[in-house]
Amino acid sequence: MELVIENLKKNFEKKEVLKGIDFRFEKGKIYGLLGRNGAGKTTLFNCLNQDLELDGGTFCIHDGKNRPLEANDIGYVLSIPNVPEFLTGREFLKFFLEINQKQVKGQKTIDEYFDFMNIDTGDRDKLLKDYSHGMKNKMQMLVNIIANPNILLLDEPLTSFDVVVAEEMKEMLKSIKNDHIIIFSTHIMELALDLCDEIVVLNKGVLEEIENSGLDDQELKDKIIDTLREA
Amino acid sequence: MLNTFTISFRLKNTYKANSIIYSIKGLPILNKILPDRLYKSGGLKVFANIVSVLWEIIGTFLGKFLYVLLMLFLMATLYDTNQADTFLHIFTLLTVIGAISNTYMFNPTKDKYYAIALMNMDARKYAISNYAYSMLKVIVGFLPFTVLFGLGVDVPLWLCILMPFFVVSMKMFAIFYDIWRYKSTGVVTNENSLDKFRWIAIALLLALAYGLPLIHVVISRTLFIILLAACLPLGIYGLIQILAFQDYKKLYKKLLTPDNVYMVKNASSTDVIRKNMEKSIEYDGSATSNKEGFAYFHDLFVKRHRKLLTKSAQKQSFFLLVTIAAVLAVPRFMPEAKEILNQITLTFLPYFVFIMYMLNRGTTITQAMFMNCDHSMLTYRVYRTPKVLLGVFKERLKTMISINLVPAGIIGIGLALVLFTTGGTDDPLNYLVLFVSVNAMSIFFSVHYLVLYYLLQPYTISTELKSGTYKVAQVLTYLVCYFMINLRLPTIQFGIATTLFCVAYTAISLVLVYRYAPKTFKIRL
Repeated sequence: MELVIENLKKNFEKKEVLKGIDFRFEKGKIYGLLGRNGAGKTTLFNCLNQDLELDGGTFCIHDGKNRPLEANDIGYVLSIPNVPEFLTGREFLKFFLEINQKQVKGQKTIDEYFDFMNIDTGDRDKLLKDYSHGMKNKMQMLVNIIANPNILLLDEPLTSFDVVVAEEMKEMLKSIKNDHIIIFSTHIMELALDLCDEIVVLNKGVLEEIENSGLDDQELKDKIIDTLREA
Repeated sequence: MLNTFTISFRLKNTYKANSIIYSIKGLPILNKILPDRLYKSGGLKVFANIVSVLWEIIGTFLGKFLYVLLMLFLMATLYDTNQADTFLHIFTLLTVIGAISNTYMFNPTKDKYYAIALMNMDARKYAISNYAYSMLKVIVGFLPFTVLFGLGVDVPLWLCILMPFFVVSMKMFAIFYDIWRYKSTGVVTNENSLDKFRWIAIALLLALAYGLPLIHVVISRTLFIILLAACLPLGIYGLIQILAFQDYKKLYKKLLTPDNVYMVKNASSTDVIRKNMEKSIEYDGSATSNKEGFAYFHDLFVKRHRKLLTKSAQKQSFFLLVTIAAVLAVPRFMPEAKEILNQITLTFLPYFVFIMYMLNRGTTITQAMFMNCDHSMLTYRVYRTPKVLLGVFKERLKTMISINLVPAGIIGIGLALVLFTTGGTDDPLNYLVLFVSVNAMSIFFSVHYLVLYYLLQPYTISTELKSGTYKVAQVLTYLVCYFMINLRLPTIQFGIATTLFCVAYTAISLVLVYRYAPKTFKIRL
């Protein structure tokens, strides 16, 4: 399965933010999306999540044949966690499991999901508004993973986690990557190099893959920085 | 000093001009045509600057004009005491109130916050130069009107001219007290949240200002002149202390917290609404739900927002019951009212459109739905699938309608009862029409607000209301309902027409929601 993007364009007034993106993202890989501030990473995610109308081009899922993306195909984890504050963690999960019944594979009990995310027993029945930033982020990540979307868009998801949880999340992402296309936007190059299978750079409105064969870490870093500097 | 003042004045003008451009850009259609470059556009900037300067000039004079006219001049003519003395009497006492409650210096405005807290301008220079400017505005703004209206009630010209200086002196002396208090106790006065002693003082002074003339007691002219003579040197002393005080930076650091700046002055700011909405969530662990899927989700939303959603409808219902009971009792004591009441039920139905508009809490409810629920849920793509979205919509519609139908039902029955007890009607259809049409109006408003919300979803991810179309739709709703106040139409015709309109509107708008909401109901970016 692939996410195929062809000539995707997005303008804000006269400013061309995405100038014709052509790319194929493959299942089983984590893509690290790098780009300078304002390069359009979030805009690209918003386009793929159908929050923004495109100004040109298309994207689709290629699975033997091309088909348009449906809502269930996409999970989008924002950098600022958004969870319904009036529900408890358990109620939120219950609701999510019920409306995603068809998509969830091998459904587990709610507590098993909490265990999977290392959320303490004492926190499970608290209102989400009383969760810490990091815990809200975990919940957001969890429901997106439960829904089992083909494509997971992660917008700087690890920045609010402490080092231990960040490490857990990295392992978790690696463990689920075989069934998904994961696109991971970040500003931390070390994280991208450590976690991701491919590095793609969004620069001057186009996506470019950084070829990493035969390069050691330092050389790869230099190459990425050079690419990002070409502004 | 002058330089600091010029910079701060230009800063204020710039953001005022920008907010004028921002509001222009917020209007439907115009926002599509006008580019972001607008903020740079010379012509428009000049225009916005002119508007902003005009506003400054109007602000200087208009408030003072209305104040002197309404609070002093017209009031002074109402009593049978000497008009000139009453004029001076009210003026003196209100000036003390103004000195306590309207300090300029201790008002945590955005101007000060931007300049001092955010842009790190020299606090002392800023405070003194801007204070001097505002005092100048007080004198210039007051003078024409104290002279005009003062002479109108035969106050001698020289006193009229000195009156604005009395105001300024009193204010400066009050500032001196506040600075002294800060120096000795560390407490900063915030004129937007006065302590209870000041409130009591204000209430007392107000009572003395307008109460004493009723019992023929007013400050004599001689006493006023003595007060004036005493106040001018006190003012000058205050001014010297204001100039000598050095610690404005620390003082403003305490005063200009974001909470002070945004909370009180601008109660509609999104942060405040969001915080209030968050506080409105009630949870004691017992409220759960046996339902499933979106019914479960919505049920919990209702249970956790009981106060916000149902309590006020209950209060309304109670209030309406008492009112109707009172109205039903009126003919017992005033038999002549019978006919008037009877006529009201038969011709005043259009007025009830406005009443139903006022009673409907659609805006608050949809706001709570966004802030506490959709703001987060809309970021999940699956929540926006037609099945879930319309499922939740249906549950919400049921709740909105049923909450608002309780007070509507009471009004409907109440009107029919009033009609019956005040002599009835030849056409019994009137009873039915009264009841049905009032309920139809209630359903209309519930549908209207929810549909507007689903079709225009006006909020951004930072919970800011961004849609000009939504604002225009709200204003139009208000205007149409307001217009109805003046209509007098026979109940049967108007009631049937209204009911038919409500049914048609509901049907059409539900079709629109089912067709378009999956596309329109998303976070504004």
